[in-house]
Amino acid sequence: MNIFRKLGWFFKQEKKSYGIGVFFLILVAIFQIVPPKIIGNIVDSMSRNELTVRKLAIWVGILIFVAVGQYLFRYIWRTNIWGSAARLEKILRTRLFKHFMQMDQSFFQQNRTGDLMAHATNDLTAIQQVAGAGILTFADSIITGGTTIIAMVVLIDWRLTILAIIPLPLLAVMARFLGTKIHTAFATSQAAFSTLNNKTQESVSGIKVIKTLGQEQEDINDFEEKVQETIKINRRVNLLDALFDPITSLIIGLSYVFTIILGGYYVTNDVISIGQLISFISYIALLVWPMFAIGRLFNVIERGNASYDRVQILLNQTSGIIDTKQGLAKSPTGPFDFDIHHFNYPDDNRVSLRDVKFHIGAGQTLGIVGKTGAGKSTIMKLILREFDVYKGTISVNNSDIKKYALDAYLKSIGYVPQESFLFSTTIFDNIRFANMDLTKEDVEMAAFDADLDTDIIDLPQQYETAVGEQGISLSGGQKQRLAIARALVINPELLILDDALSAVDARTESIILSRLKEKRQNKTTIISASRMSSVMDADEIIVIDEGTIVERGQHETLMALRGWYYQMTTKQQLENKLDGGGSQ
Amino acid sequence: MSEKSKSSWQKEMSGKEQRDVIKRLLPYTKDFKADFLIAILFAALLSGINILLPLLLQYYMDHYLQSKSTPLNVMFLFAGLYFIGVILKAITQFIQMYLYSMGAEKTLEKIRIVLFKKIHTLGMRYFDQTPAGAVVSRVTNDTMTLADFWTLFMTLIIGIFSLVSAFVAMYIAKPQIALITLIFVPILMITTWYYQRFSSRVYRQMREYLSRLNTKLNESIVGINVIQQFRQEERIEGEFEDTNELYLKKRFEMIKTNSLLLSPIISLFYALAVVITLGLFGINSLDHFVEAGMVYAFLTYLQNFFNPMTNLMDYLTTFQDGIVAGSRIIGVLDDQTLEPQQTPDKGATIVNGKIEFKNVTFSYDNENAVLKNISFVVRPGETLAFVGHTGSGKSSTINVLMRFYDFQEGQILIDDLDIKKYSSDELRKKMGLVLQDSFLFYGTVASNIRMLNQNVTNGQIEEAAKFVHADQFIEKLPKRYQTKVVERGATYSSGEKQLISFARTIVTNPKILILDEATANIDTETEQLIQDGLKQMRQNRTTLVIAHRLSTIVDANQILVLDKGKIVERGTHEELLKLEGKYFDMYHLQNISDD
Repeated sequence: MNIFRKLGWFFKQEKKSYGIGVFFLILVAIFQIVPPKIIGNIVDSMSRNELTVRKLAIWVGILIFVAVGQYLFRYIWRTNIWGSAARLEKILRTRLFKHFMQMDQSFFQQNRTGDLMAHATNDLTAIQQVAGAGILTFADSIITGGTTIIAMVVLIDWRLTILAIIPLPLLAVMARFLGTKIHTAFATSQAAFSTLNNKTQESVSGIKVIKTLGQEQEDINDFEEKVQETIKINRRVNLLDALFDPITSLIIGLSYVFTIILGGYYVTNDVISIGQLISFISYIALLVWPMFAIGRLFNVIERGNASYDRVQILLNQTSGIIDTKQGLAKSPTGPFDFDIHHFNYPDDNRVSLRDVKFHIGAGQTLGIVGKTGAGKSTIMKLILREFDVYKGTISVNNSDIKKYALDAYLKSIGYVPQESFLFSTTIFDNIRFANMDLTKEDVEMAAFDADLDTDIIDLPQQYETAVGEQGISLSGGQKQRLAIARALVINPELLILDDALSAVDARTESIILSRLKEKRQNKTTIISASRMSSVMDADEIIVIDEGTIVERGQHETLMALRGWYYQMTTKQQLENKLDGGGSQ
Repeated sequence: MSEKSKSSWQKEMSGKEQRDVIKRLLPYTKDFKADFLIAILFAALLSGINILLPLLLQYYMDHYLQSKSTPLNVMFLFAGLYFIGVILKAITQFIQMYLYSMGAEKTLEKIRIVLFKKIHTLGMRYFDQTPAGAVVSRVTNDTMTLADFWTLFMTLIIGIFSLVSAFVAMYIAKPQIALITLIFVPILMITTWYYQRFSSRVYRQMREYLSRLNTKLNESIVGINVIQQFRQEERIEGEFEDTNELYLKKRFEMIKTNSLLLSPIISLFYALAVVITLGLFGINSLDHFVEAGMVYAFLTYLQNFFNPMTNLMDYLTTFQDGIVAGSRIIGVLDDQTLEPQQTPDKGATIVNGKIEFKNVTFSYDNENAVLKNISFVVRPGETLAFVGHTGSGKSSTINVLMRFYDFQEGQILIDDLDIKKYSSDELRKKMGLVLQDSFLFYGTVASNIRMLNQNVTNGQIEEAAKFVHADQFIEKLPKRYQTKVVERGATYSSGEKQLISFARTIVTNPKILILDEATANIDTETEQLIQDGLKQMRQNRTTLVIAHRLSTIVDANQILVLDKGKIVERGTHEELLKLEGKYFDMYHLQNISDD
């Protein structure tokens, strides 16, 4: 029952809907008592030969009235209660989603996408059940059960009632007991399904290995074995499931047996009439559902409670990034200073950056090169405020970046990672992602600067072509250029290309770089790259190794040093020559 | 949204298409005929019992409860008879439900196996074109959806039995009144038809919005970096909220539809049928005597008449899902992107391992040739190395030799016999391929070396590992050969994965060895082990190597330099260096970067 209290805020908020729902549920319950009684009356009148046309007309009239009334009332309570439950699910989904949007990187590292999805779907369904089926069964078992039993006692006979309802609580016990068993069995069945799913996934992903070894038949046998296992598990599920109806039949049958004996005895002794007996039998049928409901209620509440707690745990996690709402709201411009003495990732003791210091004057370009894992991306992450705990300062125009409001600070940055995510929408909307008010001209200009315009023109619906999961798939180079266009379209004060030219060929690279140079004369740019040609023209180039700067200077200086930069540059130039300037 | 990008929830299939899907899927139930037939038989039996029980009570009421002198033991007798009837009913219900659900389960699993088998007959071309997720979804999710589809059939059968038996019973009891209840049949049919038409549209829209909602959710989590970096949280939240709202609206519509047309309306019809029946019985009773038990029994039959309808209508909503899933399954079963076919000579075996390519030309798309007139001979036990840039045709040469793809022109000979004349078993047994990206399966180190060949002993596994120098790192693992391997071997370095896949190949003792060298960064220590392992493996085997590090192939008997699908240089390492051509450049380039 705890969960009802936890959801109290919602019930309070929706008290009108629930009030109406429960009120009409009560009306339906009261109306339900009428037909069995009238049937009994008609039967009695008939068997006593007292039935008149007038009487019959009145009774039939009442029955019609009750039937139509029930239909309307059912419609009202259903739409109110089920509707409220759907609304609860929606509210919680919005809440979770908003929360996800505010969370930092560590949150997404701790909670995998699949788990977050499961919370936002399965758990919400379970909670929704409490607000729908839970409330319904709770109200129904009390209201319908109560009114029916009262009707049986008042209208028929209390002793017969007590005897007949003795077996019925077994229904509740069974619903609870079997319900739990089925639930666990079903979880095992889900697990078996996952096993099959993973097996298929592996066979398809590793199809070349299997083909190479000629083990297709063995793989099929292995799959069949797992299928047999699944059948065995599902056999149990089906068995438990198939027990539900028969046990119900038996329990109700028992009630009928008692009624046949005592009811029969009462009829022959004129304690009740034959019509009353028939009414009574109908009332027993009315009690079946409320008894089930009690049993089911426990299961619904149990699952809903666990789900609600899981969702709350997620909602209670906080982001490590603190946004100073009162912070500088002005978009930062001017020289950029990075001065980090020491940084390591939260769950990692190894030092990721040490004594990295650089200054980029307004409108200048910095190049960062180095091996993979040297710390290039870490620098970008700190600039992007993905992590705030480090020794040192990062500042723009001599103000610490932590002092800016995130809205002002991040909006001034255009960041392009190596592997960029595209959303399932049109190219047009993907490019103007950061500002949906931008016009076709703005988008086309950005696409031109990223040398993507000609590619887009070749697509079936050009800028309106859908990309992402359901759309066409772009090549790695096209994706990168789209991500560049997405960053360029807002004309950011600071542009960061984080190995974002790795999949484009040398010719395209030089086109993009020259356009950047032309367009971004007064804006700051940071380019990290694995290809030296990307950073050759930068105002300063730093070489990072094991988290620190090992070489720095302009291209000529670094070449003269004859160090790592020189080696990589000569190697790559040779490679280029060999490839005839073509793609890698 | 374009037609192509519409999800299948939005598509509607014609009646003929639907019938075709059912016709194609029905034969898969054949093996489990017994389960289904017995279940149906018991369903018939059940509807019989459902008629007999009220009949018993009717007899009891009309013959024994009208007189004052009925002894108590008659009442016990009827109670006993009734309970026996209930027990029979319970047993029948159980058998019917259990057997049918097992029949459906076995059918579903059978379709799964058939699909899985079919997938293994498909060529690499199919896997190039189809995302892995889609293939997996066919085998698991779509077959699952089909299971509901079979339940619909059973519900339909039970419904019909119940309807017919109830009508027969009513007819026997009171033919005139029974005939009048028949007017509800067309009413029910129209309601069902209307509900099915109306609700399946709403339902499909609802599902469509739900899948959109979940896609958005998933994308926003995966793309959270982009959203946060561009400070678009509020806009994305707004968009999500819009979709959320649309979904809620559709759900309301669905709830309303169900409240208006599903069980409440069936209850209304039932109540009206009761009214008509009672009215008629009442009018009848004005000039004839009507027995109470008869009225009771008749009303119970009426209930049997209406009861299955709600259930049936509920399941009809899933009908469309089943058809869509079924049509996708059939799509895979009918796929003709098969593996290249062999026409084996009986008993053709590879003994020496001589390989010859004669003017082989090959393209993936039948348009742009990626291999042009490739010819070479590798004598038994010799090593041939391919070098060249990405896209030069190295991997394609391996792909046609492994028969992953069929080549268009020329001939490949093994031991001077056309490659197509060997059975694919023989080819797989004698040719061992080590892939560039070592794929590890979920299991243990041992199971990854043994793979699915149960004849491989633990001794052989250890021997193979030792042979390729994989034993050194395996021995250091916590449970040695029994150490767990998670999906894709995520906990092993690429070098270690490479060593395990060497052992996997060598344990089959192939006559011909084909190596696609890994390009991934491997630490120096493992690198040395790999080089030693490679040297070991090549002994006494005809070997084809795709080399990325030229230092590993200086001792090859023959080196082919490929460029744009053609052999541009060939010879030994020394010969090629003297040429001062492409190979010369490459070799020097690598010497620089190896420093």
